[in-house]
Order: sequence, then C-alpha cells, then structure tokens
Amino acid sequence: MSLVSIKDVKKSFGPVAVLKGISIEIARGDVVAIIGRSGSGKSTLLRCINGLETYEAGSIEADGIKVGGQTSLVELRRRVGMVFQQFNLFPHLTAAENVMLAPRVVNKMTTAQARVLADEMLAKVGLSDKAGNYPSQLSGGQQQRVAIARALAMRPSVLLCDEITSALDPELVNEVLRVVEQLTKEDMTLILVTHEMRFARDVGSKLVFMHQGKVHEEGPPKQLFAAPTTPELRQFIGSTGA
Amino acid sequence: MADFSLWVILSNLLLAARWTVVLSLVAFVSGGLVGLALLFLRVSQVPWLEFVTKCYIEFFQGTPLLMQLFLFFFGIALFGIEVSPWMAAWLALTFWTSAFLTEIWRGCVEAVPRGQWEASTSLALSFIEQMRYVILPQAFRIAIPPTVGFSVQVVKGTALTSIIGFIEVTKAGTMLNNATFRPFLVYSLVALIYFALCFPLSWYAKILEGRFHVAR
Repeated sequence: MSLVSIKDVKKSFGPVAVLKGISIEIARGDVVAIIGRSGSGKSTLLRCINGLETYEAGSIEADGIKVGGQTSLVELRRRVGMVFQQFNLFPHLTAAENVMLAPRVVNKMTTAQARVLADEMLAKVGLSDKAGNYPSQLSGGQQQRVAIARALAMRPSVLLCDEITSALDPELVNEVLRVVEQLTKEDMTLILVTHEMRFARDVGSKLVFMHQGKVHEEGPPKQLFAAPTTPELRQFIGSTGA
Repeated sequence: MADFSLWVILSNLLLAARWTVVLSLVAFVSGGLVGLALLFLRVSQVPWLEFVTKCYIEFFQGTPLLMQLFLFFFGIALFGIEVSPWMAAWLALTFWTSAFLTEIWRGCVEAVPRGQWEASTSLALSFIEQMRYVILPQAFRIAIPPTVGFSVQVVKGTALTSIIGFIEVTKAGTMLNNATFRPFLVYSLVALIYFALCFPLSWYAKILEGRFHVAR
C-alpha cells in the first residue's frame, strides 16, 4: 500500500506542458530522490503533492488524502511537510517561534507544549543552543535546519525537500545532508528533488530520473547509477560528475 | 463693528482647530479599521472579492473628496435620514481614507516575499492565520512610514468638510473673514495651523522611513 500515489499527472503552464503523465508509487519509509535537468518538472511535481500547484489531469493521493478537487488542503498539509530551497523562515520570529507557530496555531497546542516540541525538534537538527536566535543571526545551513525542524514539528507522514542544499555555500551543505540522513534512519518518508548525486545514491531507496516532463527511468539508485539503461540518464550522470 | 484683535481671531481659530484634530483622528482610525478589513478581501485571491474591493478603491480614489462629501451629505438625506455635517464628514472621510490605506497596505503585503506565503501554506495555516501571524507582522514594519505620511492627507482633507457646514478650522476662518474682512490675515493663520498639525507628521514619517531602511 503506497503512502504517496501519483498517477498519470499532467500539468502545463500555458502552452508549455511541464508534466506529461507522471506516475510514481511511494511506500512508507521510502527515500525517493528525484533528479533531472532544470526544467524537467521536478519541482513542479513536488509542489503538486502538497497542493502548492494544481494539476490538470491524473490523480495524487498522499496518506489517504486525495490532492486537489474538494478535499481540504489544510488536512493534507498537516501530513505533508515541505522544506524549500530558500529556507523561507519567518524573519520576525526566533528559531523556536518558527517551529512553534504551526503546532500552536493549527494544532492548537498551548505555548508550553509547543515549546517542549520545539526544543525536541531543534535538538534533532542540532540547534538547541540557537532557539532564541532570529533567522538573520543564523548561517544558511542553520536556517535550513530550523526549516526542517519547523516542518517536522507538524509530525508529517512525508517530507518534501525542494533542492534544499542548492542555495547553500558548499561548506554548509553537509550539515544539512547529515540531518536528512538522520531522518532516513528514523524511517521518515522523504521525497527529495536534489542535485546532490552522491547523496541520492548513498541515502536514497529509490531514484527517479525526470526528463522532459516524464519519468524517464526509475529504480534502486545504486543500480541506476552503476548501469543507466537510457542514454539520457547516462549523459546526465556523466555531466554531474557523480 | 466689533473690534477683532489678533488674539480673538487666533483663539477662535484654535478652538475650531480642535474639531479638525478630532475629525482627523476619528476618520483616520475608522478609515484604518475599514481599510484593514478591505485589505483581507483585496489580497484574498478570491477573484470576485478582489474585484469588488478594486471597484470600491477606484471609486473613492477616482472621484474628488468634495463630491463624496456632497454625496453623503445630500445623498443619505434623500432616503429621509437626517444627516448632520459631522456624520457626513465622518462617513465620507472614513471611506475615502480606507480606500487609500487599503492600496498602500496592499503594496506592503505584496512586498513580503512569496516564499513566506508558500512556507506558511505548507504548514497548513489558513489564509487568515497566514495574514495574522506571518504576513501582517512583516508588512506592518514597511507600512508605518507611508501610513503616517498619508495621515497628513487626511488632516488636509478635513478642510473640505467646511463646505457642507462642519465647523472646523477652515469654516471658522471663513466665518471670521466675513466678520473682519481681513482674509489674508485670517487664512494665513489657518494655513499656519494646518502646517503646525501636518509638519510634525511628515517629519515623523521621514524619520520612520530612515529607521526602517537602517533596520533592513
């Protein structure tokens, strides 16, 4: 039984078809790495899963909730967390307050309960000592870890990561990847759009190569990296130097 | 003919200026409240709500305040409801102020990066919750200087209410002129009073603007 089920999803921006019939099944505990050239529709697909983008045809179901149509997006988004390339922390709130906001407002926790939860989540990403800092006082890597803690605080059943290391200085990438790797060990279901090929190969349980709005190839990462069956994937892997 | 000393003229103008201040304050506060409510509709992403608020704003921005005062003063009376000059002035200034403040604030809301909406959306916050906890606290900082700056327009706008018979500083000036026949003196004093009310506001707006840019 799939946790996230994507069936023949199609979407276009005006005349440009971005997703041309995507189908992916994701089981609980899967770590799915979506790779591909920019413009191949990776981020759009990810954003369709939590309803940030609408799609025109096909169906997406996440944790038993159909995405799109009449169903409540609020209920969906409680179960599907998201981390962004640009962190998108709330600059007027401290790290702890960033984490506490949704549990307090959406899940109606008391401030004290939310504070305990925030401390737990910040400890998980190794930032217990930064709880009182504002985002502007944190490095990019620290901000992204707070963003992960913020998403985890809603106890999502699946976490979407949209190129979460792409905006980071090279020396800050690893601290974020280590946190993500830790999550995979806790059996968190993750869908990552990423350019970190080595990470995708080593940590992913499933690799999806998107090309021109379609799933061009998918399978176990190590196998695909070792023996890509299509020339496009072979070329893509070659160009990234992985 | 009674002798009007400078002091008599000035003290009468100052007494009337109290009503300029009261009307400005009341119109600004109520206009601000209506403007805030309209702001939610204006940025709601619900097409027909946005359209209706846009029409409202266009109407009050695109017609002279004086016409709006006439419409409220004479228009409501057509329905058999007695409207005092104070009531008409308050209503017209409230609607007029709200239209401008909504537009000013919409700009401030749109200055908040898209990512803030997306992040709070992804955390399952509703539109009202997003506005309340994420967007408005950030837009508020940007909004203070232009909002204070606009309050100057409200103070000056109250001058027009003299025409429907509301006795504030301009109306008092007209009455004093009729009694003294010294228009230059009287209206100079009226202008000075407006300046004394408005200058501190625009000065303060400028300071706030500077402070905001430094804070960034």
